[in-house]
Amino acid sequence: MQEIIRIENLSKSFKEVKAVKELSFSVNEGELFAFLGVNGAGKSTTISIMCGQLKKDNGKVFINGFDIDNDKNSIKRNIGAVFQNSVLDKALNVYDNLKSRAALYGISGKMFEKRLDEISNMLELHDLHKRTLGRLSGGQRRRVDIARALVHDPKILILDEPTTGLDPQSRKKVWDCLAQLRKNRNMTVFLTTHYMEETADADRVLIIDDGRICAMGTPLELKNKYSGDFVSIYGISEAEVQMLKRPYEKIVGGYRLFVNDTAQAVELIMRHGELFGDFEITKGRMDDVFLAVTGKQLLGRN
Amino acid sequence: MSALKTLVWRNSKLFFKDKGTFFTSLITPVILLVLYVTFLANVYRDSFLASVGQGVQISEEILNSLVGGQLVSSLIAVSCVTVAFCANMRMVDDKVTGAVNDLTIAPIKGSVMALGYYLSTVITTLLICLFALCICLVYLFSVGGSLGAGDILLLALDTFLLVMFGTALSSVINFFLSSQGQISAVGTIVSSGYGFICGAYMPISSFPQGLQKVISFLPGTYGTSLVRNHALMSAFEKMESEPMLRAAIEPIKNAVDCNLYFFGSRVETGTMYAVLIISITVLMGIYVIMNIASSRKAR
Repeated sequence: MQEIIRIENLSKSFKEVKAVKELSFSVNEGELFAFLGVNGAGKSTTISIMCGQLKKDNGKVFINGFDIDNDKNSIKRNIGAVFQNSVLDKALNVYDNLKSRAALYGISGKMFEKRLDEISNMLELHDLHKRTLGRLSGGQRRRVDIARALVHDPKILILDEPTTGLDPQSRKKVWDCLAQLRKNRNMTVFLTTHYMEETADADRVLIIDDGRICAMGTPLELKNKYSGDFVSIYGISEAEVQMLKRPYEKIVGGYRLFVNDTAQAVELIMRHGELFGDFEITKGRMDDVFLAVTGKQLLGRN
Repeated sequence: MSALKTLVWRNSKLFFKDKGTFFTSLITPVILLVLYVTFLANVYRDSFLASVGQGVQISEEILNSLVGGQLVSSLIAVSCVTVAFCANMRMVDDKVTGAVNDLTIAPIKGSVMALGYYLSTVITTLLICLFALCICLVYLFSVGGSLGAGDILLLALDTFLLVMFGTALSSVINFFLSSQGQISAVGTIVSSGYGFICGAYMPISSFPQGLQKVISFLPGTYGTSLVRNHALMSAFEKMESEPMLRAAIEPIKNAVDCNLYFFGSRVETGTMYAVLIISITVLMGIYVIMNIASSRKAR
């Protein structure tokens, strides 16, 4: 796969505070790349630098082959961003909002109408064109934000906590839109989120803490490396669970045991087969990975 | 060009959609007119009567033209600047709402953004001030005052220049603002203070000598004087045709700031235009440079 984002030794300080420290990573074309960290970890600073809105102190940023030091405008044409809070004009209707933003990329007249039709089909916006943005629901507004980010047909979509504050149904709709985009247009999605279960579908996850990379890999790699497995056993007593000599917690209808990996789980089952009448083996959650890597818990957990 | 056109359209539309700001801007000149007529008309009338001297007959038409012209010129001089400050809050609102981040994420030059705010403010302020000028003319004619077509055109030109000046001044000042509190503070200071320092509320000739010299450095003063000259021109022409009133013309012109002096030298109308146009150019230049410097800093 072709590399579409490359960050090398990126650093940024605000007076004495070092927000980003020697950050290096790359994102491949078409990937869903999750960028995780608690508030103040350096996520937004990195995104702002990538979008050309903040000056970096050191390092290199390449987006779709363009160097941010020499060709910022080309980079801006390749990036669409959805901000944490909707920053479109609440007093204007959806059509006017999108028209005003498209013109900033030189898209107007028939070209705009054609593009509007495409993104409206993609995001089911046709019925919302004449509605005032401030009167839309959170989920509808988010779809309009995504439409704005896509209005100039960028190669990379940057989403800064796109589903924060949305109800589960709206969140699902947003994710369905993103899945469509990736499937149909091979779009690269660079995502920050507080919802750990949303990172499970990512191709790769980068965990940042205090401006530095703590871990990076596929969700499976990270789970295998940092969280271990869990064996849930149902219909047994606590005395029987204690015989297995593994850390455990009570869950509804049974107990959940922590094991280092799947091999250890299999060994445990083979040795105490009589206790495993009803059981399941699961990988650790991304929450566990995040906790193991940073020692912190993300506050936005669902 | 398309980006600039759309930015101007977007900013203007947002101004008119914000009913609070729009109606406040629109009603301010009307309120000022009512206040002027209620509290100042008689003061001006007595002052003009005193200027022509006791026993000298002055027609009601001339007197009404003088009083009306004085009121109209004061109102237009103040409104063009205070309304511009009110209308030019879009750039601050965009910072407050975060919309500026959404605009600057696009490949758009800082100078285009700056010009977009400037032109939309000029358009909205001009619409409101021309509306105010129409109301003023209706008032002037309704009280028996008179004004020629040429004077009205010159008044419209003065209004345009003062709007350009007010917008340029507000652009430079508002550039540094980033919160609603600051918007309110600046709005209050400008609306209460500008009328005094431009000579609209009180003629500069009534100020102490030292203050007059300081105020003569402020370009807004010359804008007020231009409006006043054109608003009173018709009245002075009528006075000119009456021998008994001729002697009172220059004292009245001095008293109401139609004649302005820069360290003792009388400033001609042409110079007043030049001062205003140069001020607009300089302020616009500063504003564009500040925007370019700001976007370079972000790089």
